[in-house]
Amino acid sequence: MITVNDSQTVEWTAGLTVAGLLKALGWDYALIAVTIDGQFVAPEDFDSRPVPDGSAVQAIHIAHGG
Amino acid sequence: MADKISIVVNGKAVEVRKGVRLLDAVREAGASVPTLCRHKDLMPLGSCRLCLCEVECEGRTELVTACDYVVEGPLAVVTDSAEVVRHRKTLAELYLGRWPNVPAVKAIARRAGVSESRFVGEFTDPEPKSCILCGRCAAACEEFVLECIVGFAGRGMERHVAMPFHQVDPHCIGCTSCAHVCPTGAIEIVDDLNRPVDPRKIQSAGMRVNAELATLDKSQCRMREMGTLNILQVMDKYDLLPVHNFQYGCHPDAKKIYGTVFRDQYPPQGLADGCWPGCSMACAKTADGFELKTGPYKGQRVTVDGPEYETGGGCANMGCFDPHFVLEFNFYCDTYGIDTISASTVVAFVMEAFEAGIITTHDTGGLVLKFGACDETLEMLHQMARGKGFGVLVGQGVRWLKERWIEEGRGDPQFLRDIGMEAKGLEYSQYVSKESLAQQCGYTMAIKGPQHDEAWLIFMDMVNNQLPTFELKAEALYYFPLWRTWFGLMGLCKLLWNDVVPADNYKEKEPHKIPGHVRNYFKYFEGMTGIPLDEGKMLDQSARVYNLQRCMSYMLGKGTREADLPPYRAVGPVTAKEYESRAERYDKQLRELLGIDPTGMSTAEKMARLRAHREEQYGKTMDVVYRRRGWNRNGVPTLARLKELGIDLPEIVALVADAQEPEA
Repeated sequence: MITVNDSQTVEWTAGLTVAGLLKALGWDYALIAVTIDGQFVAPEDFDSRPVPDGSAVQAIHIAHGG
Repeated sequence: MADKISIVVNGKAVEVRKGVRLLDAVREAGASVPTLCRHKDLMPLGSCRLCLCEVECEGRTELVTACDYVVEGPLAVVTDSAEVVRHRKTLAELYLGRWPNVPAVKAIARRAGVSESRFVGEFTDPEPKSCILCGRCAAACEEFVLECIVGFAGRGMERHVAMPFHQVDPHCIGCTSCAHVCPTGAIEIVDDLNRPVDPRKIQSAGMRVNAELATLDKSQCRMREMGTLNILQVMDKYDLLPVHNFQYGCHPDAKKIYGTVFRDQYPPQGLADGCWPGCSMACAKTADGFELKTGPYKGQRVTVDGPEYETGGGCANMGCFDPHFVLEFNFYCDTYGIDTISASTVVAFVMEAFEAGIITTHDTGGLVLKFGACDETLEMLHQMARGKGFGVLVGQGVRWLKERWIEEGRGDPQFLRDIGMEAKGLEYSQYVSKESLAQQCGYTMAIKGPQHDEAWLIFMDMVNNQLPTFELKAEALYYFPLWRTWFGLMGLCKLLWNDVVPADNYKEKEPHKIPGHVRNYFKYFEGMTGIPLDEGKMLDQSARVYNLQRCMSYMLGKGTREADLPPYRAVGPVTAKEYESRAERYDKQLRELLGIDPTGMSTAEKMARLRAHREEQYGKTMDVVYRRRGWNRNGVPTLARLKELGIDLPEIVALVADAQEPEA
């Protein structure tokens, strides 16, 4: 199980990447800053960085517009 | 790692990202390759040829310019083979022969082991700041500021950089991009009309933004393609797009008015344009040759300036998902001097009242004003402008209409108050705030009324869960309104703060504030005035004005707690249909936040419990926000706060003297 933004959980699956997690959440926002257990993940690594089971992910939407 | 491939650089295997430019790949692998024309923020030019490398790929060996060679698959590259060295040496000699005293050329020659050139002759230019025809300036003009003011003229040895017809082009606004990227100093900026204290500081801040827009916008907000309308699609997907007078947050037909539709179907929408010359974000959009179907200009082809997000969002709020309507509504609002936000919000209110039977065709002069009534909406707009018909009443705004209808005994007064989306007499702009307490306060507590430009906290609060406590919400409702006020005070646009984001923003401690860009604005301020600025000083600058505005607002009868209360539609579901459309969400909140099991409860009961909770939460947030701002429980600045800010002048104190409370 993965915790996202301290407010929701997502079922972990083998091979899950940051991009896969965001897709599962339906978050295709252009500006998202991601940390896994406090470690930054560069946007260009979203496709390849695995998300370990049990990790705490912060996916901060940087508000544009408004 | 699907997007990584293995290549060999000077005999050493390294892993690189597929699609990377070879020059970047070999440099990352530690190889040193010279260039004159390459600039990190510009597309590769391949003009100086100095970055030649020897590439072996699929059994074939060739010399390529590394800067514009895209790595698509496995290859082996040698950056200093005998062939490469020989070519570079000849090139260095050619450069040195023509421009022997240009420092950048001399450095290249030294590196290639060339001290003298065989090619000295009649074309040799001894100036140390000569143009070496690298082309960076022309590329910067096009890529940074979307102009083609600087370019090449002449051929062969006559080739040189010039403005068209060798005349000063009036479109050049002196952005200094060309000078910034010039490797020799051949282009100099000689005027400084605004007499800034430190022009270099300003140039450096501006160039950073230019470079980010040239390199990042296409993968971020696409402001150059679609302007602010890009976010309509985002709002629809996150259930935040107002639909049918803020009842819902998305609609299956919303995709008909996404920014991509206008970009693709209404030229030149897809092209970058500027609301003022030289802005490299260039987010203003137009639709040219647009034929009007109604009104005094019916049949004429016009240029429409827009649509911006708020106009598109307003049309969704009226249920009008026809792109032609969006543009015609946009055009006539502009032409009549009517704000598209207020116009669409009041029409959406009228439509809901019509569908609820509060008004009928008898009141509207025969107009059937259901959601989605595009033709009728345009007719009402023309009536507002003509000063005739039902449109005249609609033009008075939501507050006036609801008070009139309540006075006339139409419908349930509470229902009208709940669905009339205005505060302080101003109509709400186009975001659904129901699931973000901070955004509800950001809207309704805004001094001017519920405009979106004071505190736009939906994502921070609702999606990111960054503001889980009242104190954190209050802190955000302190910082962001003052930061946004600061733009107004300085006469600066806010779009360059958060509609493009630095590539390394994700590393910041508070990425949502986009600290790199905040610092950039501070640098600009210091470059212009000579006064160093930091967050604390910026907040104090704004707070003085903000509190003065609040005092004046109180004087006008609007700067109080009562005026900061929202219509319930901004806070939660007003109708049973609205609740049931998101029943899973609301039922979950009843269970998790209130410990209530909704099973077996009627929708009316559930709505009442949810409403009581949400209104209580709103009230508590107000209390904490007021404390953080130094205001009393009625939302009026305390004398202590005015003194702290140095604005306790007698005439200001007099404005709020009667609202002061004894200290607790």
